[in-house]
Amino acid sequence: MFYLSFLGFFGFIIGMVGVASNPSPYFAAYGLVMGAMAGCWLLVTFGLTFLSLVLLLIYLGGMLVVFAYSAAMAADQYPMAWDDWSVFIYVMIYWILLLIGWSYVEELDVISLFENLSYVRCDWGGVMMLYYLGGFMLLLLGWVLLVTLFVVLEITRYISFGNILKL
Amino acid sequence: MTPLMFIILSTFLLCLTGLVFHRMHLLSALICLEGLMLSIFMGMSTWCLQFESMMFSLSPMILLTLSACEAGTGLAILVATTHTHGSDLMQNLNLL
Repeated sequence: MFYLSFLGFFGFIIGMVGVASNPSPYFAAYGLVMGAMAGCWLLVTFGLTFLSLVLLLIYLGGMLVVFAYSAAMAADQYPMAWDDWSVFIYVMIYWILLLIGWSYVEELDVISLFENLSYVRCDWGGVMMLYYLGGFMLLLLGWVLLVTLFVVLEITRYISFGNILKL
Repeated sequence: MTPLMFIILSTFLLCLTGLVFHRMHLLSALICLEGLMLSIFMGMSTWCLQFESMMFSLSPMILLTLSACEAGTGLAILVATTHTHGSDLMQNLNLL
């Protein structure tokens, strides 16, 4: 069982190294996709199936589509992938630091030592509390999302007038 | 230190150093912020698993909602900067 979650560990770290090593934004978005997928796999192996489903839907379905669309505005003339030399140096430095940090890992997690994959935890029961005891937080989050909608509309509204400095 | 703690701490520190050092585009900085939110999400959801208290598992949902707000606002600033300055390079933000 630990080997299954080790796959998620490894993919998560590879994705985050790919994000942090300053490639072009197209490839950084690929790294974030890989990190999010591996994180979902990690949560599934621990039994948090509902949170992993929500993470997959929000990240890959919602946000990363917008990020991939906005990558067109950050176009480089010569996009740098991870085989570019300036990016590859950062990848190597990060891997060396991670190997040093891995030497401090001494024991395994208890939750990664379960034998079977097929049991279902009740994390959806905890999320259900958002509609019961945490109802005030639900209202507050809805208000925050509404305010964000108007903030985004106000920021992008003055584009047609030329300069944002004329606000 | 267990592997799970190592993963959460190291990915948080990786994305933080990637955010602080050598960002060329504004979009890369926003993607690094998303990586920070992802590592905090993993930490919160495995926290409620570790303590066997499923009541806590609504806080990753709250975090995910607030990170969606943050990503939307950041991308709106990215769009505005691109339209007024022609590119989203971080050196251009010194002109603002």
